[in-house]
Amino acid sequence: MALGRIAVLRFVLYAFVVLDALHLTTWPLDHGDVPAQLYRPILLRRLLDLPAPTETSVRVVLVVLVASAVVAALGRLPRAAGWVCAAAYLEWTSNAFSYSKIDHDHVALLVALLVLPTVGPARDAAVRSEAAGWAVRCVQVATVCTYFLAALAKMRFGGWDWANGAIFTWAFSRRGSDLTDALLAVPHLVLVMQWGVLVAEFLSPVLLWLRGRALAAAVAFWVLFHVGTYLTIGIHFLPTVVCLLAFVPLERLPRAGRSGAGRSRA
Amino acid sequence: MLDPAPVIRRLPRAGLAWRSAVAVAFLVLLVLGTVQGNDDRWPFAPMSQYAFAVDLDGEIRSTRIEAVTTAGTRTVVPLTPGGVGLRRAEVEGQLGRFVDDPALLEAVAAAAAQRHPGRPRYARLELRQTVSRLVAGEVVGPPQDVLLSAWDVPDPQHPLGCCR
Repeated sequence: MALGRIAVLRFVLYAFVVLDALHLTTWPLDHGDVPAQLYRPILLRRLLDLPAPTETSVRVVLVVLVASAVVAALGRLPRAAGWVCAAAYLEWTSNAFSYSKIDHDHVALLVALLVLPTVGPARDAAVRSEAAGWAVRCVQVATVCTYFLAALAKMRFGGWDWANGAIFTWAFSRRGSDLTDALLAVPHLVLVMQWGVLVAEFLSPVLLWLRGRALAAAVAFWVLFHVGTYLTIGIHFLPTVVCLLAFVPLERLPRAGRSGAGRSRA
Repeated sequence: MLDPAPVIRRLPRAGLAWRSAVAVAFLVLLVLGTVQGNDDRWPFAPMSQYAFAVDLDGEIRSTRIEAVTTAGTRTVVPLTPGGVGLRRAEVEGQLGRFVDDPALLEAVAAAAAQRHPGRPRYARLELRQTVSRLVAGEVVGPPQDVLLSAWDVPDPQHPLGCCR
């Protein structure tokens, strides 16, 4: 794997961490002044003996998270800044999920933040590196797991009834819009969509073997799927969507574009 | 474009070994998380977003908290990060706790008072659900309203003793 892919992935993913902390997964900051009675720490926080978030602690973590992500996005201190960012992101997301609601869209990004520091400097874009290959493969597998294990979870908790049931009607009626009303008006459409999602999730591991145009088409399918869930029920799943970039031959971006990005990053 | 005959940086044997071990261990934990784990074990939790089946002839419940303020008005408590710092799904995630111990609703009043010191305080909080009935997968009839739990804050100006 060419180091060029790591360089671009780093820039995009660490920049996304800044966006995530400041605009998407912002509620850990708000947890700072929620009374501790409502704090239900997940196992990870109990094992690490992390205290209940406070007004001060959430602000400190946010500053560390954003600062380390900016440094790492600029390609500086890839190991040190990367590890600090991974630790801060784990603190931030575990806070997010310690008030009795777990989301499943952050696992691939968390894996990416844990593996990117292991590659070290990626200045020489054309150099091929096994360390880079391992890191990119980890992100790819974690992304596929997010889809494939979602299908397994549906079988575990819903069984085949999931696809034959009223889950989309349920979701649309709770978080609906004019668009979802229009979709619900078409007979049997939700059933077709439910089966489509389930089959696509079960087939997602092919992402790991596909090459060229077929891979591009599969990645495009998942991006469109997320656009669809965003337009219908307002769930963007962006932390997973950005990790789909690990499947894209980013190292082939025109050299001019890359050196341009390098200049703006310098 | 890549240069001809690119340099390939190999991993030393030890580097390869720990990477393989970590990757396999993480993957096993992820799969176990979905197959037999629970949310508590995140990141090794089931990927269970929207994973449950909804009966075609079942019901759909939407949760909200209503409050009567010290100004005497009835309002829907904004279950958002900017509102009370807690999202609707987080309230639903600990629904059983609020039902078993209605006094826990006072924490919501305290959170609201903390963030919006200038607004009228919540004197009474009610945890409510609208229940829509499904017949053959379609919502029929007007939704029903159910009261799950209610709490009168003893000292509405200072819920949980806060904001003095």
